[in-house]
Amino acid sequence: MGELIDFRGYGWMLGEGVQVTILVGVCSIALALVLGLIGCWGKLSGNRAARIAADIYTTVVRGVPELVLIILVYYGITTLLQYLLQLALGEEVLIDIDRFSAGVITLGVIYGAFATEVFRGAFLAIPKGQVEAAKAAGMSPLLMFRRIMMPQAWRYALPGLGNLWLVLIKATALMSVIQLDELMRKSDIAARAVKLPFTFYFAASVIYLGITVVSMLLQHRAEAWANRGVRRA
Amino acid sequence: MGDAAAALVVDDLHKRFGELEVLKGVSLTAEVGDVIAMIGASGSGKSTFLRCINLLEIPDSGRVMVGGELIRMQPTRNGHARPEDRHQVDRIRSRLGMVFQSFNLWSHMTVLQNVMEAPVHVLKLGKAEAQARAQALLEKVGIGDKGNYYPAHLSGGQQQRAAIARALAMEPQVMLFDEPTSALDPELVGEVLRVMRQLAEEGRTMIVVTHEMGFAREVASEVIFLHQGRIEEQGPPAEVFGNPKSERMKQFLRGVR
Repeated sequence: MGELIDFRGYGWMLGEGVQVTILVGVCSIALALVLGLIGCWGKLSGNRAARIAADIYTTVVRGVPELVLIILVYYGITTLLQYLLQLALGEEVLIDIDRFSAGVITLGVIYGAFATEVFRGAFLAIPKGQVEAAKAAGMSPLLMFRRIMMPQAWRYALPGLGNLWLVLIKATALMSVIQLDELMRKSDIAARAVKLPFTFYFAASVIYLGITVVSMLLQHRAEAWANRGVRRA
Repeated sequence: MGDAAAALVVDDLHKRFGELEVLKGVSLTAEVGDVIAMIGASGSGKSTFLRCINLLEIPDSGRVMVGGELIRMQPTRNGHARPEDRHQVDRIRSRLGMVFQSFNLWSHMTVLQNVMEAPVHVLKLGKAEAQARAQALLEKVGIGDKGNYYPAHLSGGQQQRAAIARALAMEPQVMLFDEPTSALDPELVGEVLRVMRQLAEEGRTMIVVTHEMGFAREVASEVIFLHQGRIEEQGPPAEVFGNPKSERMKQFLRGVR
């Protein structure tokens, strides 16, 4: 049994991988939240064009497998941009997108579409009367958004966003297909190097589980904070 | 109109929801210190009228003047209207205190924070000053000890009094009450009406949409009876209640007794 948890000096690779995984995850969720708010604004705004754009965004992104999008962005988009630039400038331009940015952009865009729906539900759940009270007090739309709507939207959005984060952090493992050095790829390299697949993949599983469990604990804290003032039945 | 501008002038207000014309030209003038009670059956347009004053509903035509300042409107192509200047609307709204039927306190803030919020962020009042003002107003409406509670932990009557304090904190020129006691349990109505009566006695200008005929009769300086979007009867309460001229007003009074 002992040899199953002997990393043969390759344990540090897992440590490196975790750092990249968390960094990609945090950057992606940040991007997803921004895109989610923009998408939500688009869906709820009176502007027809914005609504249609947001609808197309969520429909397309939610309808294509993540793996396909990851590979498409990393390998496909650069080729497309190069082709377009060549058409425009008439000379060959080399574009290189680094793996980290490709990963963050892809995950951010994908989960931004899901976040759009989470935020949409959250903003629709804010009691209309409280928004009217803010208007009646003379608040500008921006002030009202910042002081009245956003704090309440968190309350309704946090459970959905927490869920999104859990799915996202696990989806970072897909980044191994574009050779981003996150936890999954590092485990893979180490496992192959010392021919101990169980040891390294199992360790990776435990680490993913650790990240998600800590995330859930933090989420409970955040929800308790967001739900201040709510009477529990 | 005399030299001193009236606190509120509404002139020939029209409002349509689709095919349904809810307001068919309603006018009203409130001098400073007037308490105008608006009564009428549900669907008569009285709440819509009140909500048109601070543009929670946008009237299709007609004029609203607050303290002599006209809210500038422009007609839209589809026969409705929209305000010309959003900033003017925000400014005028900050001078009108609104109390809603369902209180509408901000549930993520304590009662004290609710009362401080608009003075600090709209009027840019200092925090200490806003807090002192808020605390004084909470004392005034009789819930000085409830400042640190969240709205959900208060009774309906206490919430409505907090909402009145929140509106007063803006030192509004006119207070608008939209059926302030209709969502309350009967035993809680009295405490809210007492606060409103006190405000009236202090000389505050108030427009009160209400089903409380006792309040209208005893506190109002003028009663307006709306029926199907038109003013059917209007005058001092003693006259309107004691000697109603229109058949509909008589009918309405029989119904509420």
